[in-house]
Amino acid sequence: MWNKDKSLFLSRILTVAAAGVAIFVAFFIPTLSEWYQYMMTVETAGILDRSSMFIPMCITLYVCDALALAALWNLHILLGNISKDQVFIPKNTSCLRRISWICIAVGAAFMIFGLWSSIFAFIGMVAVMFGLIMRVLKNVFEKAVEIKSENDFTI
Amino acid sequence: MPIVVNLDVMMAKRKMSSQELAERVGITTANLSILKTGKAKAVRFSTLEKICDELDCQPGDILEFKRE
Repeated sequence: MWNKDKSLFLSRILTVAAAGVAIFVAFFIPTLSEWYQYMMTVETAGILDRSSMFIPMCITLYVCDALALAALWNLHILLGNISKDQVFIPKNTSCLRRISWICIAVGAAFMIFGLWSSIFAFIGMVAVMFGLIMRVLKNVFEKAVEIKSENDFTI
Repeated sequence: MPIVVNLDVMMAKRKMSSQELAERVGITTANLSILKTGKAKAVRFSTLEKICDELDCQPGDILEFKRE
């Protein structure tokens, strides 16, 4: 029977798996960059020349990979706290805030790389949008922590 | 906070321990301690009623407003 504990366990497993994929991908970033430089179509080209995109793409992907790992680490902490029944605590709010800033940073990195390949600018916008949603979620959590604290101190 | 809780004074007058009052009122000693130290953000009327009943006092004997 499916229950919330199993759901939480699945989320934790997926987080760890995603971290594994992020580490695995890190070894192939130069290969991926080379492949993309060769395969990129004219429609997805940016305003800068394709011949100079290899190093910026490698840098962007390494930065985003590291940021993804940082976000996954924060998710791992968040899920760990939830499994300990510690949901509305300031530590979780900090995790959400960090994840939000990480998404915005990833978005910014992708938007800069959008100069070479315009499709990445759109991906960057999506990441920034996601960062904003996470920020609102963090604000909701912050308020919930405050309300819970008031509730806890009502005797 | 301008609301001062004088619960310890009242408890001393009635010679009642925290453990005993907590048991009689039906709250934990930890919560009673929060109330005594003024860390509580609110008091339920039902809790106040039980405290007043056990200590045989008025709410004004326990709670006091002091302008900051």
